[in-house]
Order: sequence, then C-alpha cells, then structure tokens
Amino acid sequence: MSIKVENITHIYNEQMPYETTALDHVSVEIESGEFVGIIGHTGSGKSTFIQHLNGLLKPKSGKIYINGIDITEKKVKAPEIRQKVGLVFQYPEYQLFEETVFKDIAFGPSNLGLPQNEIEQRVYEALSLVGLDYREVTDKSPFDLSGGQKRRVAIAGVIAMKPEVLILDEPTAGLDPKGHKEILDMIKKMHKKEKNTIILVSHNMGDIAELSDRIIVMEKGKVVLTGSPKEVFKNADYIESIGLGLPPAMILMRMLKQRGKHVYTDILTIDQAEKQILNLLRSK
Amino acid sequence: MNNMIEIKDLTFEYNREEDGKNIPALSGVDLNIEKGSFTAVIGHNGSGKSTLAKNMNALLLPSGGKVYVNGYDTADESKLWHIRQAAGMVFQNPDNQLVSAIVEDDIAFGPENLGIEPGEIKKRVKESLQAVGMYDYRKKAPHLLSGGQKQRIAIAGVIAMRPECIIFDEPTAMLDPYGRKEVMDTIRKLNKEEGITIILITHFMDEAALADRIVVIDEGKIALDGTPKSVFVQVEKLRKIGLEVPIVTEIAFRLRNKGIHVPEDIISLEEMVNYLCQ
Repeated sequence: MSIKVENITHIYNEQMPYETTALDHVSVEIESGEFVGIIGHTGSGKSTFIQHLNGLLKPKSGKIYINGIDITEKKVKAPEIRQKVGLVFQYPEYQLFEETVFKDIAFGPSNLGLPQNEIEQRVYEALSLVGLDYREVTDKSPFDLSGGQKRRVAIAGVIAMKPEVLILDEPTAGLDPKGHKEILDMIKKMHKKEKNTIILVSHNMGDIAELSDRIIVMEKGKVVLTGSPKEVFKNADYIESIGLGLPPAMILMRMLKQRGKHVYTDILTIDQAEKQILNLLRSK
Repeated sequence: MNNMIEIKDLTFEYNREEDGKNIPALSGVDLNIEKGSFTAVIGHNGSGKSTLAKNMNALLLPSGGKVYVNGYDTADESKLWHIRQAAGMVFQNPDNQLVSAIVEDDIAFGPENLGIEPGEIKKRVKESLQAVGMYDYRKKAPHLLSGGQKQRIAIAGVIAMRPECIIFDEPTAMLDPYGRKEVMDTIRKLNKEEGITIILITHFMDEAALADRIVVIDEGKIALDGTPKSVFVQVEKLRKIGLEVPIVTEIAFRLRNKGIHVPEDIISLEEMVNYLCQ
C-alpha cells in the first residue's frame, strides 16, 4: 500500500489568538512495504501528520493518496481508510475496555460484520503476531495483564483489522527495558512476516536508527530531512540543533573522534561501536 | 536525624477485586534515604517501585511495617500535611498535574492552600520558577508549553511548597530527548544547589547512572542497593530481572567477554572515552 502526501497544510485554531500552523506544505511518499521512522521534538507536527494518514484529521489544503485514492475527497468513507491504515496511539492500553482479551481484539473485526469463524481466526493471528499465547490470555481480563502485555493486546486490536499500513506512535513509551525490547522485536518480526508498511514515531534514536529503512525528520511542521538512517544521522550537528538526540553508539564515536582517535562517526548500533573499539584497541 | 525517609520492614498488599485476595506488592523492605542524597529506584513494570514511592509520602499506607518521613509516621493521620509538605511528588504526565490557566497561578496554588500570606507567595512563585529556569514564562498558559517545560512547571509547583524531598515517578517517560535533558538538568540542580533530597523512579538507565545511589526493586523486594558503579557492573543479574545497563556498561561487558580488561567502574561516556584515550 503506497502513500503519497502532496503539499498538505494543517492549521489549528485558525483565526483565533493561538493559531498555529502544525503542518506547513508537507510532501512525503511512502512505498509499499517500507519501514519508515518519524522523528521530531514534541510539537514538531509528527502526531498531526500521522493523524492525516488515516483520515482522523483533514488538511486545510493539499492531497493525500492511499493506493492512488485521494482520501481528502468527501466521498471517501472514513471506515474504509481506517481499515487500510491502522493507527496505534500512545499508551494504547488506556483504550482497552472489554471483559476479555478475546472480546477486546474481536471488537473491530465484529464491527466489520465478519462471520464468527473469521473473527476467531483474526484474533488468533493477531495474538500470535504480537507474541501472546492464545490459550493463555484469550479469556483473561485485559486489566489483569502486565503493562507490556496490555500494550500488546491493544496493538493486536489494531492488527486484527488487517491494516496494510500500521502506524505506531511511541509504542514503547513508559515500558521497562524488557517490555521495550519485546515490543520492538514484535514489530520487527511482524514486518518481516507480513511485509506490511510500518510507520514508527519514536523519541528513541537508537531504535529508529536500527529499525527504519528510511527516516523522516520533522521540525516546525515541515519535513526537514529524509533518507536512510546513515544519510540522516550524517547531519548530526543539525539534528542536535533541533532538539533531537543521536543514537548512543554514534555519540560515543563522536567523542572519540574529538579526542583525535581515528574512528568512523557514521555508525548507528552497539555492534558497530564494539567492532570499532576492538579495532582501536588492537591498533594500539 | 540524618534520614529523610526511614522504611522499616514495609509490607504492602493490594486487594484484588475479583476474588478479594490480598496480593503482596512489597514485602519486608528496609530502606533509609539520607537527607540531601540523590537516589534512583529502578525495577521492571510491576516490580513494586511505584508502590514504594507512594508509600514515601502517605499516598499509600503500609499493610505492615513503618514508614517515617522526616521523623513522622505516615500512619499518623494528624501528621499528613507535614508529611506531604516535606515530601512532594512529581508524576509522569505533566498534563495531569497542572491546574491553572496561567503559569504563575499554577505555582501559587499549593502555597495558597497552605494559607500563606500573599507577599510570601509572590516570593515563592518567583524563586520556584527561577529554580527550574521558567521565570520568563510566568505569564504564559501552561498548555502552550512543550512537554519538558510543562514538567518543569509541575516541579516548580512542588518546590513552592518548600519540600525537603521530592519523589519523581518516571518524570521523563513522556518527553522528547530535549525535554528529558531539561528535566534531568533541573533535578540535578535542585539536588546539588538547593540541597533537596531526590528520589527518582525511572526506566532509563542513563538517568539512574546520574544518582549517588541506585536501589533495584524486584518482586517487591530490594534486589540490589549501591552506587551506580557497583550496581551496573552486575550486568547479568540486572538482565535476569528484566533490566538493562547503560550503553557504555554494555560495551565494556562485551569487551570484557572478548578478554579485554576494561576497568569495572566505567559507566559513563566520558569515562569510556578517557579509558580508550589513555
């Protein structure tokens, strides 16, 4: 499922004292099956942007094509878009509401009017994609699960709609290191298996650098940089100047370089940092 | 008396609604927090660390054992306001902690409720906002500020109560990298310059590394307690209980496994760089 965003602008509180241009002529293309990371500080327009992709917000001007269909057109029905583009909000576990895990995940598919066996199949698949054991959790109250498990159930509820594009807004916020890793591994595995388009919004530069095929950097409602993680983080000074961080491995290499060591600073992962440090120690 | 908080054999049980059973969240916790210290509390989700924090300012009361805040027994209801004033608390979500439409009114809210006279309130509002570096924003509306700025306003609101101790429950979980840095810089400054006792509950190991002391909670008990260096060197034990170590400790651990003798007390980027450049 391809996404083409053409020159969209969104203004909050138009003609009011607190008028803010949240999106300022944004154009982006996302190919089918791509894993895209979006970074930007709070208020840079990330959340406003992703809410346009499934029709929750409409732009003041500009076009958004999902698989060639312009979803800004009035005749396009919102449920049709939302079935194709699933959005997982921040802290999605706050949206759990049913008595059992099964009912919670089945809620969306049931509203599509699917037959019972298809609904069961989808709940089963969604739970297995998020790494939960169907038999173990299906009859449990979602509120009896751990924080990381609750979040996975909430994500499963969106996956059960079989969206071709899955947007995740800070899916690991507030989780402990183990829960954090579990959610990331789950997203990686799902992307590999389903080959769906994934858009990940995160403040964790290490995660974004590791997972994304391409990164979109937003600042003041505009897309200011886009490219592979390597290309984007090459602009390290600029990224820091707009209030964002760098992957920790890169920070370490930059500090070593400053001290006159011959190391590459365009590395993104701990594995790469380890290799470089080993080389450095061996060349002593 | 040098302890801000004294916890003696603390047990805390939750009552589970469906079957009425009591589930222990904390059992047999002994912990003293020294005045003026900076302690980080880490543990996985559900380990009991937030329950511990809420027992430190009488938001929760012990099922067994005792908690003393500045010498006051938290079970003594007549001392509740002394306790809350001595130990303020800052939570995860800044939006849930702000009450007024103008920043300075928000800061004045606490002292007003204490019945403090207006001249003194004005002074406290100014000092509190200066302490968090937000004095220039005193006339602004809180909802128009960034996440990090809002959280600093929430902190200023607590400082205006002149607490000796502030308990932070994952104050940076919802912030972007810059907001996190703003809040962490503020916390360190309050500790070093104002002498406020800090208890920081966090999932970010690089934040915990900034404390004087780290207490690791697992299964409702204290699993490790010591300086950041002595705690983070136990990489395997931390992993076993679902925690991570800062990236530098991770790299040092990997190098050690390759037979390189990296000193055990390296936990910060600066220390690693110094070691590699010696």
